[in-house]
Amino acid sequence: MLQTTPAGDTPKPILQLVGVRKTFGGFNAVEGIDLDVREGEFLTIVGPSGSGKTTLLRMLAGMDTPTEGNITLHGELINDMPPNKRPTCLVFQSLALFPHKSVGENIAFPLKVKGVDAATRKARALELMRVVRLPENYYDKNVMKCSGGERQRVALARAFAYDPQVLFFDEPLSALDYKLKKALEKELKDLHRETGKTFIYITHSLEEAMVMSDRIGVMRAGRLVQVGTPEEIYGAPVDRFVSEFVGEVNTIKVKRGTDGTWDGVDVPGRFTVRPPQDGATLDEAFVVIRPEYMRFLGPGDTAENRIEGTVYNEYSLGSRIQYQIRVGSGAGEKVMLVELSRSRALPPGADRAVTLGWDAADAFTLGS
Amino acid sequence: MKHTRTNALIWIWTLLVIVVIYLPILCGALASFNKSRYFGFPIKIYATEWWQKTLDSIEIGMIVKTSILVALLVTVFSVVIATCGALAFARYDWKGRRLFQKLIILPIFFPQPVLGLALLLGFNAVGIQTSWMTAVFAHMVWIVPVVTLVIAIQVYGFDPALEEAAFDLGCSRIQVLREVTLPLLWPGIWSGMLFAFLLSWSNFPLSLYTTGADSTIPEWLYAKMVAGYTPMVPALGTMATLAAAVLLLVGGLAGMLLRRRAAA
Repeated sequence: MLQTTPAGDTPKPILQLVGVRKTFGGFNAVEGIDLDVREGEFLTIVGPSGSGKTTLLRMLAGMDTPTEGNITLHGELINDMPPNKRPTCLVFQSLALFPHKSVGENIAFPLKVKGVDAATRKARALELMRVVRLPENYYDKNVMKCSGGERQRVALARAFAYDPQVLFFDEPLSALDYKLKKALEKELKDLHRETGKTFIYITHSLEEAMVMSDRIGVMRAGRLVQVGTPEEIYGAPVDRFVSEFVGEVNTIKVKRGTDGTWDGVDVPGRFTVRPPQDGATLDEAFVVIRPEYMRFLGPGDTAENRIEGTVYNEYSLGSRIQYQIRVGSGAGEKVMLVELSRSRALPPGADRAVTLGWDAADAFTLGS
Repeated sequence: MKHTRTNALIWIWTLLVIVVIYLPILCGALASFNKSRYFGFPIKIYATEWWQKTLDSIEIGMIVKTSILVALLVTVFSVVIATCGALAFARYDWKGRRLFQKLIILPIFFPQPVLGLALLLGFNAVGIQTSWMTAVFAHMVWIVPVVTLVIAIQVYGFDPALEEAAFDLGCSRIQVLREVTLPLLWPGIWSGMLFAFLLSWSNFPLSLYTTGADSTIPEWLYAKMVAGYTPMVPALGTMATLAAAVLLLVGGLAGMLLRRRAAA
């Protein structure tokens, strides 16, 4: 149910997890994960800290063994296979570059371990330096004298030198400044396409996941809550946790009414609600509307749902503007968010009393 | 004005401390150049004959050999044991680690004469004849903890992910040790070696109880002070001090180069 497959082709999974659990002294870090990783895909596991994503990755890389369940690579059970025997490679959060080796020696390290001769090693290292866009004269440079971005590239080249079938990434970009991070995200995505390798990336930043991934898995409390393409995660979250994790949302609690409409519980009003995606029959539900799907209604404008409110704050988000609108009153007061492109902003001095509107098809209905 | 006076006081104090520390060593050195057999200042006639006699003495040659042998063996064994101990001490989290950390440090604070006596009684009890070999063991009881601490400091400053990364990149356990762990621990191991050698070289209380019929330099110096003083005593003492100073200087320089290579 969690798996979503694009119509027409179902490539064989390269890595398969069945009922994988990991317990540390009574604490369930990871509980019951089923996942098929497709050959050549860029899969990102995203979740808040403590959700078990690092533990999951360490099991995949062979640094921890599952308490229960099976991990197979190309159909071969690899639960207890040590990292040095696995055709996989992990890029650490700290990068773990060897401080006593030069850039070139770091990159050539896996080849040295394999017993490749020095000349071939150097040639391959230089080739990989070109792939990750490191200048050739960096070969003898002290790796600790490289900048943050350069170190990322060295770590990446070193992982490629191992020639793994699957590459794991443990939030290696988290320590970098925003601009560099954005640039490296795009580079990583390019490298993924150029090399055709399978990438499994973990991060707590959904923004990072959205930019790079073919598919995203959202983890919470040791479980994979949803796996899907970035569009599916964004457009059809399975529950409020996923919907809120993916970005800001407006949530309205509703109760089934008598005539096919639903009554607001925490916001007064009657609403037209799309039936839940999973087909469940509910008497109580949450309607989740993203701020960019809300609009201001002028006289004569129509929408399936409407709420009256007062603008009390507005923020510039660069090309967009976000409005905070107070709806309801007293104990039932609630803040709703509306996001508009700058060209459709409310004129200055416009009436602060507004009507919000949205169509049922632009919102999702969730049971939990 | 006030500032210069404070500065002057600081200088005078520093100089005083240095003089108090180094003057006795200088006096010892001067005493060894006294032509007269008996000790006394001011020295009337200077001569190098006692240095020559010291260098020519067969007895002293044997004692120096024993001291070097003991110190070298202590260095080798201590560093091996302490490296393993330091990794267990600082790297791995296991049940009883904190107790181990305390127990291993404790011998440093035992009064050494008591420790020496205890070891002598122990050797007697199990019927081991004391000799320079038992002294090696006795020195290690005190020196291994010191060296463990010195190496543990290096282990603390080292990201365990480096070893995991090497393992992940295809290294066997031995290759991880050779390619990553040892090269990164080298500066600490080197300092530990210097500590071990110099502490053993200058140790008196433990040697006194545990060398049996053999004798080390500090023991010989003491024995000759008690009975049979000649200026060979300050001569050998000065030589032993100079040897330690040279070793420390060369070792320190080499260690600095290692550190620079490892950390730069």
